[in-house]
Parts: sequence; C-alpha cells; structure tokens
Amino acid sequence: MNRFFALRPFAVALFVSFLMSIGGASRSQAQTTPAIPRTADGKPDFSGVWSSPTTVNPTGPRGQGIFNQDKMAPIKPGAENLLYQPRNGDPLHDEPRAACMPSGFPSGMLYALPVQIFQTPKYLVIVHELQRSTRIIPLDGRPHRTDLEPTYYGDSVGKWDGDTLVIDTNNFKRWILDDYHYTDPTKSRWHTDALHTIESLKRIDEKTISYRITIDDPKIFTEPWSQDFRMTYHPDWEEIGLLEYVCQENNRCVGGNCKASNP
Amino acid sequence: MSRNSFAALIIGFAFVATAIPALAHHSETAEYDTTKPVKVTGTISRVEWTNPHIWFYVDVKDENGTVTTWGFSAAPPGMLMRRGITKEQLKIGAVVNVEGSRARDGSNNASGRRVTFADGRNVFTASAEDVGR
Repeated sequence: MNRFFALRPFAVALFVSFLMSIGGASRSQAQTTPAIPRTADGKPDFSGVWSSPTTVNPTGPRGQGIFNQDKMAPIKPGAENLLYQPRNGDPLHDEPRAACMPSGFPSGMLYALPVQIFQTPKYLVIVHELQRSTRIIPLDGRPHRTDLEPTYYGDSVGKWDGDTLVIDTNNFKRWILDDYHYTDPTKSRWHTDALHTIESLKRIDEKTISYRITIDDPKIFTEPWSQDFRMTYHPDWEEIGLLEYVCQENNRCVGGNCKASNP
Repeated sequence: MSRNSFAALIIGFAFVATAIPALAHHSETAEYDTTKPVKVTGTISRVEWTNPHIWFYVDVKDENGTVTTWGFSAAPPGMLMRRGITKEQLKIGAVVNVEGSRARDGSNNASGRRVTFADGRNVFTASAEDVGR
C-alpha cells in the first residue's frame, strides 16, 4: 500500500468533516437571517401597504424624500442647467404636479404617501396613493418594450437576483426628478430623456425594505450614482387601504391664482 | 365671545403650538407668498375633506362686526388620516387661531401652516417630515 492509500481514510474523514462544517455554518447563518414572508415559489413577498421610501442620508428636515446632492456623481461641464431649472412662474414648469400633471418616476415613488404592492410570479404591481398612479412591472424576463414614446414613469422590467428584486427602467421623457423644490424655492431639479434607473428592493426584515435607486443620466452626470432609502411595512394601514386621490377634485390655487372650491 | 373667554383663548394659544404641515402636493412657495403672513382667529364655518388638499374656512369678525371668511389649505386627507386626524376633529363652529401665508393672488386664501385650538387640543402633532410615513 503506498502512502496515498494509507492516508485515504484520514483524507475522507477530513473532507466529510469539512462538508459538515459548511452545512453547520449555513444552518447557523440561516438561523440568524430574519424571517421574511415568502411567496409560494419561495421569493421574498413584498405584498402589503408600505410607507414611501425615506432616504438614509437626508439633506435636512425636508430632505426625507429627495436625493442628497452630496452623494450624486459630478455634473458634466455645462449640464448644471439641465439638472436645475430656475422658477419662471409657470406652474407647469416650476412644479408640474401642482398643476395635477403626473409626478412621474422617481419623483412619485419618493413622495410622502404610501404605496400598496401586489405580487404574482409574473408581475410586481406598485399602486401609489399619490395620483393613484400604478406601475406594472413584468418579472418574466421579457425585454424592454421598444418604439414607445417616452413617458413620465418610463418602461420597467424586473428580475430576481437572489432575494433582491432588480427593476430596470428606461424610456423616460424629460421631467422633474424629485421634490428638491421643497428645500429650495428658487429652482427645481430635473432629469433628461436619457435617464435610466435601477431599483434594488430587498426585504431585510419583516418590517423593512431596503430600497436603492441608481440614477444613470449620462446627459447630466459623469457616471451613474446610487442612493439608499428604507420603506416600512404598515399592516395597520392595510385595513383601510389606499384612499382615492383625484388631484383635479379641488385644486384651488394653482400658481397662487385661487378659484372657487368645487364641492 | 366675551372678553374673558377671549383672554382664555389667547392664553391657550400661548401654550399650544400645533401645525398642519405645508408639505403637500406642491411646495408652499408655488402658491403662497411666505413674505405675507396671515394670522387670524375665528370660527370654522366649512370643511372640504378633498384632494389634493383639505380646505377649511374660518369666519373672522372684525371690531365692527364685519365677517370675513378665510380659506386655508392643509395636507391631503390620506396624510391626515394616517396620523389619526379625521374630518370630525375640525368641527364646524370651533374657534381656532390659524397662521399661514397668503395666496399669491392676494385673495382671502392661505396655507394653513399652524392651527391652534382654544381648549388646548393638539391634533396636528406630527412634524412635516413625518407626514404620511
């Protein structure tokens, strides 16, 4: 018997021991991972009513639902005026939502009204209380639609990367980026029609979605940049559910010119 | 209102600072002139529990007995509801002191930034940053 065969039982025992230690480690890891609801096919279940995303890096007390300028990529030379638009007194330009135009994405996603998420193996549907806008995101691996006119909410497709849902969106029209104008009355912040976004949603515990948005707008920024937000699960809001939101119902003072109330 | 009850009202105002957040579907500066503050005391005469903002109307009587109605806008119904604030809490006839900024067109409309109830009730407690979250 040569030396290799003499050592073989020891090598096998060592290998088995190694496998057992791996199994033990993964069992131990599984035990420390918070339990999250899952769908029948084992995917994380995002169904329910959630607060809108709040940033983990606020710029100030009114910065909960806006991007932090300090954490953006550098602006390309000459592109500052694409990102920031001085007010000119026209509500459709200064704050389109004030005139009941769509908030769009990502602005509408970050607005401080809740969303309700519905999930099937084929679709994730995000219903916003704000303007009752709805994003229907296919999860079946289909590519982006082509030959569409650019839109306020873009064209979204989703896919799973482990327990993280990754939503890729393109085909935007130039529109307001976020509610920056809540923090600066002199101007608003816009994206271009080259915007491409990637959202990464991960339910890190029963009550929390870690929500990351990557902004890729090559007409404005030198490179893509990402910012992190959190969404909080609100089963207490589910019983009443989302309320109706018809902006035109009683929007009395657009641009500061008030009209009589509708009711 | 008697002189004594009005004095009590003022004392109540001194101790209670409550706010309806300006945060709504627009920034305050889009529609209201923050350099033109409004501060009135009167009775709630009408409430519109509607989107995109609730509106409530306050009848303000001047020293000659002339009544002027002011309209104040506040947060959307959904934001208020999730903070436990219902239409019933803005009772018709309730005396309130309201502070805000006047509409840019100079009409008797304003943002309802701060509302104080005479009896110390404090229903609009959440800060603007917490609204709806």
